[in-house]
Amino acid sequence: MKKNLLKNSIVQSILTSLICIVLGMFIGFIVLLFINPAGAAEAIISVAKNFLTYNSTNMQLKYLGNTLVKTAPLLMCALSVLFSYKVGLFNIGAAGQYVVGACACLYAALAWKWSWFPCMLLAIAAGAAFGAISGILKSYFNVNEVISGIMLNWIGLYSANMILSNVKEAASPYTYQLTAAGEQAILPTLGLGALFNKNQYVGLALPLSVLMAVLIWVILGKTKFGYELKATGFNKNAAKYSGMAEKRNIILTLIIGGALAGLGGSLLYQTGYEQWQCTHSSLPAMGFNGIAAAFLGGLNPIGTIFSSFFIQHITAGGAYVDKTMYCSQISDLISAIIVYLCGFVGFFKYAMNVRIEKSEAKKAAKEMSVEHKEGGKE
Amino acid sequence: MLLLIQYTLLFASILILVALGGCFAEHSGVINLGLEGIMVIGALGGALMMRYLPSGTSAFVIILLVVLASTLSGLLYSVLLAVAAIHFKADQTIVGTAMNMLGTAAATVIVKALNTAANPDDVSSTVQYVEEKAAFIINIGGFEFNWFMVFTVIALVVSYITLYKTKFGLRLMACGEHPQAADSAGVNVYKMRWAGVLISGVLGGLGGIVYITAGVSEWKFEYGVAGFGFLALAVMIFGQWKPTKIALAALLFGLFRALSNVYFGFDFLVNLKIPSGVYNMLPYIISLVVLAFTSGKSRAPKSEGIPYDKGSR
Amino acid sequence: MEQPYAIEMLNITKRFPGIVANDNITIQLKKGEIHALLGENGAGKSTLMSVLFGLYQPEEGKIRKDGKDVKIENPNDANDLGIGMVHQHFKLVECFSVLDNIILGAEPNKLGFLKKAEARKKVMELSEKYGLHINPDALIEDITVGMQQRTEILKMLYRDNEILIFDEPTAVLTPQEITELMQIMRNLAAEGKSILFISHKLGEIMSVADRCSVLRKGKYIGTVNIADTNAEELSAMMVGRNVNFHVHKEEAKPGEVVLDVQNLTVASDLHQNDAVKNISFKVRAGEIVCVAGIDGNGQTELVYALAGLVAAKVGRVELLGQDITNLSIRKRNDMGISHIPEDRHKHGLVLDYSLEDNMILKRYYEPEFSGKFGIMNRINIRKYAEKLIEQYDVRSGQGAVTLARSMSGGNQQKAIIAREIDKNPELLIAVQPTRGLDVGAIEYIHKQLVAQRDAGKAVLLVSLELDEVMDVPDRILVMHQGEIVGEFDPKNVTQEELGLYMAGAKKDKVEA
Repeated sequence: MKKNLLKNSIVQSILTSLICIVLGMFIGFIVLLFINPAGAAEAIISVAKNFLTYNSTNMQLKYLGNTLVKTAPLLMCALSVLFSYKVGLFNIGAAGQYVVGACACLYAALAWKWSWFPCMLLAIAAGAAFGAISGILKSYFNVNEVISGIMLNWIGLYSANMILSNVKEAASPYTYQLTAAGEQAILPTLGLGALFNKNQYVGLALPLSVLMAVLIWVILGKTKFGYELKATGFNKNAAKYSGMAEKRNIILTLIIGGALAGLGGSLLYQTGYEQWQCTHSSLPAMGFNGIAAAFLGGLNPIGTIFSSFFIQHITAGGAYVDKTMYCSQISDLISAIIVYLCGFVGFFKYAMNVRIEKSEAKKAAKEMSVEHKEGGKE
Repeated sequence: MLLLIQYTLLFASILILVALGGCFAEHSGVINLGLEGIMVIGALGGALMMRYLPSGTSAFVIILLVVLASTLSGLLYSVLLAVAAIHFKADQTIVGTAMNMLGTAAATVIVKALNTAANPDDVSSTVQYVEEKAAFIINIGGFEFNWFMVFTVIALVVSYITLYKTKFGLRLMACGEHPQAADSAGVNVYKMRWAGVLISGVLGGLGGIVYITAGVSEWKFEYGVAGFGFLALAVMIFGQWKPTKIALAALLFGLFRALSNVYFGFDFLVNLKIPSGVYNMLPYIISLVVLAFTSGKSRAPKSEGIPYDKGSR
Repeated sequence: MEQPYAIEMLNITKRFPGIVANDNITIQLKKGEIHALLGENGAGKSTLMSVLFGLYQPEEGKIRKDGKDVKIENPNDANDLGIGMVHQHFKLVECFSVLDNIILGAEPNKLGFLKKAEARKKVMELSEKYGLHINPDALIEDITVGMQQRTEILKMLYRDNEILIFDEPTAVLTPQEITELMQIMRNLAAEGKSILFISHKLGEIMSVADRCSVLRKGKYIGTVNIADTNAEELSAMMVGRNVNFHVHKEEAKPGEVVLDVQNLTVASDLHQNDAVKNISFKVRAGEIVCVAGIDGNGQTELVYALAGLVAAKVGRVELLGQDITNLSIRKRNDMGISHIPEDRHKHGLVLDYSLEDNMILKRYYEPEFSGKFGIMNRINIRKYAEKLIEQYDVRSGQGAVTLARSMSGGNQQKAIIAREIDKNPELLIAVQPTRGLDVGAIEYIHKQLVAQRDAGKAVLLVSLELDEVMDVPDRILVMHQGEIVGEFDPKNVTQEELGLYMAGAKKDKVEA
């Protein structure tokens, strides 16, 4: 019998992700219809098109570049969530780890004039430190990592606002421009900007983040460390029973998760693409979108590369909707719906397998009855 | 000082309402991490009701309708969790997180759409309710007594009685502890879990409207509710899933939250020259410390977060 | 005139994907009788009961009560028909009181408010009438297993159930408690209750039942009057062949001391009291020592402390003369402790890992399996797993890559045993290694344990099954409330004698 392609788990993951995307976009479209039926179709197309809205190739390239600039940090946040999830931990604290990473590298760049590499290392360290707090609270004090993560997110945000107030422009709530006050900390562009119509923000961040995704894939899939971590995630008790240091692994995981998210902060803010706004009263969406990207990517590091791009693509696409009718947050709405639908992935796959089994059973029954009949004729 | 008490009580009210909501959901066996989102949607319902009520509506009607709008919005929104967690066995953490993201995004989209429709130049996500808010407040010699405080006390007493003195409470808690036992005794576990989640929606929604009317008379919905849903969960854990202890825990957390609003009224605090950011952080730091000391021996409902499957025994 | 039947299940067939769990089964329960339902694990007893309770709908067959056809679609329907059951794993809410557990689902109330005084009165009356002696205010987590079982019985009586089903009720009881339960069952039958008694223990069936129906591999074998049969005949009906219950083994030749436990005390997770109190004993090479006792008397904690899963509070544990009291689990493994855990799903396996990944669970870090930079050597892992699969006859759908979750209980256990024995340990700790397995698998596992002994290994067996306790070991230690209360040679002791020690009625001073 021919092997059913749908039974392949990778195919299933891709399929369920596509279902989530289509459903998410569709529900988003319905919301738009409710707000104003006149431009809904156009708006949802703008969201889906993002940089393709522009007619000239040069402009398209430039804005593709901008989307990629923000895809790199998003990918880092997604990897952070994914890595922790494999060990059974839900690292909602990625948002805060990203923030403290951003804060650390900006402060080092602007106040101490460090060059880019030490700035980046400091961002990684800051994220890792925040992850470590969650990890220690989890393994030694049994504090749910989701709750401690949220608390740390807000602590991180207020700290960042406070610390970065020391390096902000007098007249605005924004930190100094990196190009003006901390040029030495800007990540090398490696000439990549030239590919995107001289977009000076595209550089090291992009290849580095993809490299990290591959690295995470190797660690989880091929190494003894990954074997341990996944065993811990699937069955903590069995991991302990077999002699794995499960407490150490929990802490280590969240440290690595924190480091990844912290690096994410550095990969955005050290391009000079954005300044930090010291009056932020809500967390940047990056960390939470990371959750969306991680699950949409089927919790596979390689899949996450594509899902991060997609989430960033529609997030940026939100900026192109007709502002007289809609607002750009429609993209946030769609990514939230996608995350919600990702909760149903288990069900989708189950339903798929049941259908496959049923149709196979039917086929088998048919074949049997055919044989039977033929047998009867003889 | 009066101001500190007033804010403490107000913030404690919010925490009590929302924590009780979490408490009902968890006693039924569902972890509600989406309380934050439920608060936002509840707040949205109430805020829009205030905005569209004709001016001159009597205070009683305002209170009634606003409370109704918030609780109903919260209730409807919590259906998202109930369906996913109870019938589709979805990961409750993912769904809760999605609901938090969705709550803020949806509220922002809706309010902006309404604002833009009313005035094409208005692209803010702010709802104002200066006049209507006054309906909830009675001035007693400088102390702003808030009707929500009464509602909170009522909610507290009713919750206590419901959980410990009624058939419903007994069945609800059995579902969170040992759903197979409840099922074998003829209790419909799915129905009880629906009830638990919907009650958490009602209380969360009510908490949301209290939150956005506490001290301010307009709200920018892009801000969400600043982790208050999670603070309430911390209160719930600290309160060991018991209404009376939750109330005490909420007062403590409320006090620290209130400090960030009113610390400048105390000379000695001002003299310490602590930046305001530290006061903002205080409730979160306190909750981390408190959780670190109480989570170790905490006794959560045994089967919370585990989807119930009739087939498996 | 046909005899009046309280309940009849006629020609029941229930299929699951791939298997027929119940194949044309008929059971007829007379009023006021004790009817045993006999069958091995996996014979289809639980499925049949699930059908009776409306948890499953059968594809074929019908159910009759008092001669009339009835439809049972959920447990409530069964309850309305007066059918109640004491489950093998009690369905009690641990943090509730006995009274709350009894009334749950059938609460006397006024406008939804509980009327506990009324409930208490009825419960106390019932408790007295049948001699159940319960304390309605005690919390379930604080009372003995026997008391918990009586709470379950009261749940049925409180609902005025007429048809009472006991699912393997004696598995967790002491011999004395079993005797009491038998008496309670006779009392109930005498009061006109009809009892269905599910068991695979022939002795109990012979002593208490009036009739017995036998299932084997989902099929109905027959119903016999107990007065007209004997244990051998029932046994043959149950397994389809004459089974050798005795384990063949030569006289043990104990060698040097492998495990030396000195004054070990282990704290309890659940209670203020210590779970293990000042225990000392030795296990030598070439002998099987069995720790016997009723579940929950400190055996679990003792094993956890030996394996390193929990820390010892006081005392010292030595392996081959080396102090291992404070060593990590990994170090103990490397020094030669193998551990077949009590709960194969909780500890023994990562169910979402493949069989091969489970086979290397304790050796994955060895150079054979992970090479440079911690990269795992998949080729060697596959080779190793396939070797074990063949050697220990572990059967699974797709061989080494089968998900552990999709394997049968017996084969999961075989995989664990293969993994633990192949480590070539000095000390093999086996905790209830045959729990929930069918006769064939039990025989196999007992043989493996004896083979280890004969290879000069020390074996520590923890068992709750009296047959196993009497058959397999060379020495028996009885634990009661965290203490060792007796040491026996299985050849010189009776089950009754052991039972007295297990229940705490007798106690020796045991020297290590």
